[in-house]
Amino acid sequence: MAHDASSPSTARDAKKKRIRGNRSAKLKQSKLDVRREQWLSQESDPSSVWIGLVKDGKEVKAVVSPGAAAGANSGSPILASPHPPLPRRRAEIRTREGDPEDFKEDSVGASQDVGSSDHESPLHSPVSYNPPIGCLQQKHCSGNGGGRSFSSGSSAWSSSRSVTDSDDDTGGSPENDDDGVLDDWEAVADALSVDDNHNHQDPVPADPPVVPASCPVPANAATRQEPIKSSTRAWSPDDAFRPQSLPSLSKQVSFPASMGNCWVAMGIGSAQKGVPSKPTSCPICYEDLDPTDSSFLPCPCGFHLCLFCHKRILEADGRCPACRKQYISASSGGETVGSEREMGNLRLSRSCSMGPRY
Amino acid sequence: MVDVSRVQKELTECNRDREVSGVSITLHDGSTISHLTGTIAGPQGTPYEGGTFVIDIRLPGGYPFEPPKMQFITKVWHPNISSQNGAICLDILKDQWSPALTLKTALLSLQALLSAPAPDDPQDAVVAQQYLRDYSTFSATARYWTEAFAKNSSTGMEEKVQKLVEMGFPEDMVRSVLKSVNGDENMALEKLCSG
Repeated sequence: MAHDASSPSTARDAKKKRIRGNRSAKLKQSKLDVRREQWLSQESDPSSVWIGLVKDGKEVKAVVSPGAAAGANSGSPILASPHPPLPRRRAEIRTREGDPEDFKEDSVGASQDVGSSDHESPLHSPVSYNPPIGCLQQKHCSGNGGGRSFSSGSSAWSSSRSVTDSDDDTGGSPENDDDGVLDDWEAVADALSVDDNHNHQDPVPADPPVVPASCPVPANAATRQEPIKSSTRAWSPDDAFRPQSLPSLSKQVSFPASMGNCWVAMGIGSAQKGVPSKPTSCPICYEDLDPTDSSFLPCPCGFHLCLFCHKRILEADGRCPACRKQYISASSGGETVGSEREMGNLRLSRSCSMGPRY
Repeated sequence: MVDVSRVQKELTECNRDREVSGVSITLHDGSTISHLTGTIAGPQGTPYEGGTFVIDIRLPGGYPFEPPKMQFITKVWHPNISSQNGAICLDILKDQWSPALTLKTALLSLQALLSAPAPDDPQDAVVAQQYLRDYSTFSATARYWTEAFAKNSSTGMEEKVQKLVEMGFPEDMVRSVLKSVNGDENMALEKLCSG
């Protein structure tokens, strides 16, 4: 449910973002850095966790223990209102990065947790799109005593702080470095044909600075480095950790209809058969097909005919002229005709969107 | 009641590539579109090779939602075609007709039927039995019938027309009469004289 609501909006955001382009992204980046500093100076830690939760939706919110949720609630309005969608997502990403570290610091040096968070972090990136993975995360959290890690605000705070601090440290110097990585990410995004550039761009500038910054830090360095690396890897096309659901996700984002998949499954076959040979005139009466007729597909076989001929056939034996299968009975005819026409339209739109790919 | 525009389009479409398909349709007598005459060329590599088979086509009022009534005018020796009256046993001309089919596709189906007889579902039991028991005799008979009846009508048709026209009969009448008597010159002359 949360997915349906969130994915179109993120897709829209992403498109806008993309139009604005690389340059403005960089500008925004520097602005964001400033803002982040502001937040960090004024906010209390649980709120940052909360912001991430708001983004991820209800499922994750349910995981948070009541006390933490209450604490977060108090913090969130301050942040969420002054910073509309973009910063919010940024914060969410930060907390995402924070999560695995969160676990680590909670279960001090427990190798199991480190390993698991390594596995988890790649999954984190697509979380905003995918409910199943969100659920996975949820399970994971509860498995690790996730409630505790979330509610223990201090750890979340420290992790997010370390990220941003390091970012600030290196913020001025490696502009070129950032650029290179940015381009790389965009290339990856294109390769994946994922519309959302936003989420790719954002974590990247934050990530690379962390690595060099955390290196000098002796205790957490190793553990911190790994998840971030793997999170970068998560989006590279050849990565083993890349979630299997990723390709289908990019598809889902491009489908306007939430029922898209189900129609598409039915539609592709007939679209391939039907659309290229789509007649301009009714094959029965040889009259020209008007738009209503041409979107009228009474039979799953994809045979086009005009409404008059269809009616005539229904009055007689009621079998499809092409496949000779019985049309749906006349009593339910009205309804099926309607739904079938919808289906036809969907097929059309689908085939149009598929067109360039063939 | 017959869908005139469809039939007319079918006729032009069918006759556009008559040389290639070996199938053509003409109006039977020019007055009504519901009575047509089709011709098919005997398929290569069969006893019917080289023959031209004339088929009488009558379109029922419900055409194309009802199948056209087709019957061989040319006598043909074939398990699925009556040697007596030329009636055809072919499913698409009966219960398997579909309005998506056309006169041309029906005629092409007849052409296919000539090259692939179905003796298990015969129209003419005698021919079917011969086909199953003594194929060589069947083949010879079919070839003979093709020679005798299917080639007569086409080969030398122009000569016959020419002859009869020279006798003083109008050309279209000569052609239609010749067609109706299956190209028999003497019978045509008789008919022309009597009618």
